[in-house]
Amino acid sequence: MGCESRKTDLAVGRQTRDGGYMAGPDSTGKEKTRRQEPLDYSLVLVVLILVGFGLVVLYSTSAWNGQVKFADKAYYLKKQFLATALGLTAMYVVSRMDYHRLKALAVPGYVFSLLLSTAVLFFGDEYNGSRRWLSLGPLSFQPAEFAKLAVIVLLSFVISGRMKKITTLKQMFLVMVWILPIVGLVGTNNLSTAIIIMGIAVCLIFTASPGYGHFLLLGGLGIGFLGVFLSVESYRLERLAIWRNPEAYEKGYQTMQGLYAIGSGGLFGTGYGASLQKLGFVPEAQNDMIFSIVCEEFGLVGAVLLIGLFLLLVWRLLMIALHVPDLSGCLLAAGIMGHIVIQVILNIAVVTNTIPNTGITLPFVSYGGTSVLFLLAEMGLALSVSRNVRQEP
Amino acid sequence: MVKSERKNRTYNRRKLILLFGICSLMLVGLSARLFWLMVFRADYYQELAEDLHQRERSIKAARGRILDAKGVTLASNRTVCTVSVVHSQIRDPEQVIAALSRELQLPEETVRKRVEKYSSIERIKANVDKETGDRIRALELAGVKIDEDFKRYYPYGSLASKVLGFTGSDNQGIIGLEVKYDSYLQGSNGTILTLTDARGIELSDAGEERIEPVPGNDLVVSLDYNIQTYAQQAALRVLEEKQAEYVSVLVLNPKTGEIQACVNVPEFDLNDPYNLDDYLERTGRGGAELSREEIQNLRNQMWRNQSINDTYEPGSIFKVVTAAAALEKGVVTLQDTFSCPGFRIVEDRRIRCHKVRGHGTETFVQAIENSCNPVFIDIGQRVGAEDFYGYFRQFGLMEKTGIDLPGEANIIVHKLENIGAVELATMSFGQSFQITPMQMAATVSAIVNGGVRVTPHFGVEIRSPEGKCLKRFTYGEKQGVVSEQTSETMRYLLEKVVSEGGGKRAYIEGYRIGGKTATSQTLPRGTGRYISSFVGFAPADDPEVLAMCIICNPQGVYYGGTIAAPVIRDVLENILPYLGVNLSIEKTDEKAYNAD
Repeated sequence: MGCESRKTDLAVGRQTRDGGYMAGPDSTGKEKTRRQEPLDYSLVLVVLILVGFGLVVLYSTSAWNGQVKFADKAYYLKKQFLATALGLTAMYVVSRMDYHRLKALAVPGYVFSLLLSTAVLFFGDEYNGSRRWLSLGPLSFQPAEFAKLAVIVLLSFVISGRMKKITTLKQMFLVMVWILPIVGLVGTNNLSTAIIIMGIAVCLIFTASPGYGHFLLLGGLGIGFLGVFLSVESYRLERLAIWRNPEAYEKGYQTMQGLYAIGSGGLFGTGYGASLQKLGFVPEAQNDMIFSIVCEEFGLVGAVLLIGLFLLLVWRLLMIALHVPDLSGCLLAAGIMGHIVIQVILNIAVVTNTIPNTGITLPFVSYGGTSVLFLLAEMGLALSVSRNVRQEP
Repeated sequence: MVKSERKNRTYNRRKLILLFGICSLMLVGLSARLFWLMVFRADYYQELAEDLHQRERSIKAARGRILDAKGVTLASNRTVCTVSVVHSQIRDPEQVIAALSRELQLPEETVRKRVEKYSSIERIKANVDKETGDRIRALELAGVKIDEDFKRYYPYGSLASKVLGFTGSDNQGIIGLEVKYDSYLQGSNGTILTLTDARGIELSDAGEERIEPVPGNDLVVSLDYNIQTYAQQAALRVLEEKQAEYVSVLVLNPKTGEIQACVNVPEFDLNDPYNLDDYLERTGRGGAELSREEIQNLRNQMWRNQSINDTYEPGSIFKVVTAAAALEKGVVTLQDTFSCPGFRIVEDRRIRCHKVRGHGTETFVQAIENSCNPVFIDIGQRVGAEDFYGYFRQFGLMEKTGIDLPGEANIIVHKLENIGAVELATMSFGQSFQITPMQMAATVSAIVNGGVRVTPHFGVEIRSPEGKCLKRFTYGEKQGVVSEQTSETMRYLLEKVVSEGGGKRAYIEGYRIGGKTATSQTLPRGTGRYISSFVGFAPADDPEVLAMCIICNPQGVYYGGTIAAPVIRDVLENILPYLGVNLSIEKTDEKAYNAD
């Protein structure tokens, strides 16, 4: 069954490539090229706008830090620009590729990410108290970012290949067992990414299971686990206390500074480049808290537009997932969608102090080369899937 | 195949749509949260953020001057500079180090350390005089900042130091008139509001908001530079001559209470008020290791205004008060005769007269001239303790004078119920209680000026920096503390003291001077420490000026009439012509005061 479907899919892939080549952007033979849908250009457009906007905001936000630390206003922009260029190349290459070939790579890729995540524990560079980077000459690399992609690919093929659907609790736990090693490894020094990985897994399981009961059980278990997790170490409870009243704690500083920035923005913002909070008040404003600077400079209007843009991106991903005929493609698109939406929601929720502080970056906007590289690669993957989408009747 | 999968996957689609719906709702919720934060909470956070971004640099307001009665500046401001470096703006550190160490006369290492320090702004030296500051500014060194500031400056150094007082670095009065009139003198500082980044560095492209400082107002005091200087010279002379601990000289207008001089030598340098070197040397404590606390105590000692902050036993000068009380009560007349065997037995105590052989039989006039203790014991008894206290109160002795200087001391006196015959006797000639010299001078003023209790004071008016009078101070007066009759009699008696009695050495040819001497042993008795004093006024028939001198612990001869009276003579001789008091060319014939 799995084999058959793969064959079909491969054929579809080839056809699509041909179709794209032959039909051009405005295909004349709509009715006959049901499976020859070219790339999802609207997705490409949304991604490009997001990436462009991200770079523009990143420059404004990081200029002061770059000037102070490296005497170069464009220091962060240059690095991010390089990663983005690399990422766009990756997106292009991956989008040309038939995603079904990834099936063979799913397990090795996952094992590779496990190895990298193990390596980072021993050879990683420490920055701000966490070992998260592996250095190779002038390049540094964050294995956790790769792990997210690896998990999406792994689970998509594990679920689509072995189970098709998750009907029993046993299946559900089996899937979870697959990702436990990576969650454990990443979670040792990057709790936020571990949570995201769990979140992606939950999204995929949810999508793949016909019922709701198991999911409710899983959710209950998750909440219980969270409760135990929080109460085991007191600093996590302290985090909760800071969340409820950030002004009363020294460690609430970052949160408060973010809120100052958001509040300072008002309806229309102070204008591009005019943020004062980015001048060292919001620590490392180009990282997790970048959304607060977006709020300050572009106001409520700009912030809501950015959220709208993300929603548009997620919607495009949803469309791909809904309309791609095969389960692996569907799950890949769903995983990518889950990844983006979880990060966006968690990031904005943290910045607005809606949930306790945890370090999550805003996709395409926050500084981080590895992050943008793999996000764009994921977009490439989504585009590759999109070429299998059937035309809506 | 595709069809079946499609069918199978309806739940996938349902779930995905559900997932998307949940996430969309979350994003909408977050947008709502943003709306709340950015619209309803905007003002709150904006204000907090503004506090964070704005730096206030204050511009010091010029403190008002203190002017004497004739307009001589006793306290003003000098422009001084603060030299600092902004590390990030320095282009040639070596040049900066060399120039600053040369101009500021600082060791090179000191300057180097500060120039090379990674700080936003580092102060190199404060209180640099303006010329040096201007010279450095002319060098146009990048990264070197010269800020101008005001520093309190007292042109006459130690003149009237304990009256004027001085200010701290924050432009706040610490002692003396500088404290008392602080609110008028201070003015209000201006501010420069600038925006800074998190390191506190001002943003060059952000404009600055300025609130100009308002300079303080000038204080005009009744002190007269010339009189103060004369008085200080006379005081210093006797201080030196008699190796005294301190000498106070007060000169005031007995009719108004305006104090024209208030000298308490040794004074201290107002331009260097914390320097104890001279003080330690004088008190023979030079070179000793001192704790912080000791240093502070010594400074407080050095800054004390003995005329106001300290009390003493007034001794015989107080006989003026006893006599006035007795005259008011009508228990003595000028013709009353007394006998002085050289002592009086009061209860079991034998209280001696300073003349051991006694003055023999004498009239009340002679008794005052002789400053005869037994006679005053007698008239004190005639007044009686209760009434004596009543007169204390009436003359204003039981309260502070109300002088416009901080820290005035109150009378130290027995409670009425504790006054026995001995206490009454000793109080009659000015012992066994303590008052301030200023209180003594004010009380004598009231007795000789026709019975008006005036408030001794310095502050006359407040003037704007442009010289406009903004406020004239008025001081309380109490009429009729003694009758005009008593006052006139007292003037006559006290003139007699100078013309014929113990105050002879205060006599000045051609002037009518009234006065009274005093010599009192300090507590504890028997240590050989005395306070010699003299109070004098002129013209005796209509006093324009009253002067008092107190010499604490003189060496050698210690009689007030011998050592303190000449000081007042000296002072009056100098200042009477200056004050325009006419010579009484012909002494008017003695009036007959014997009418009952």
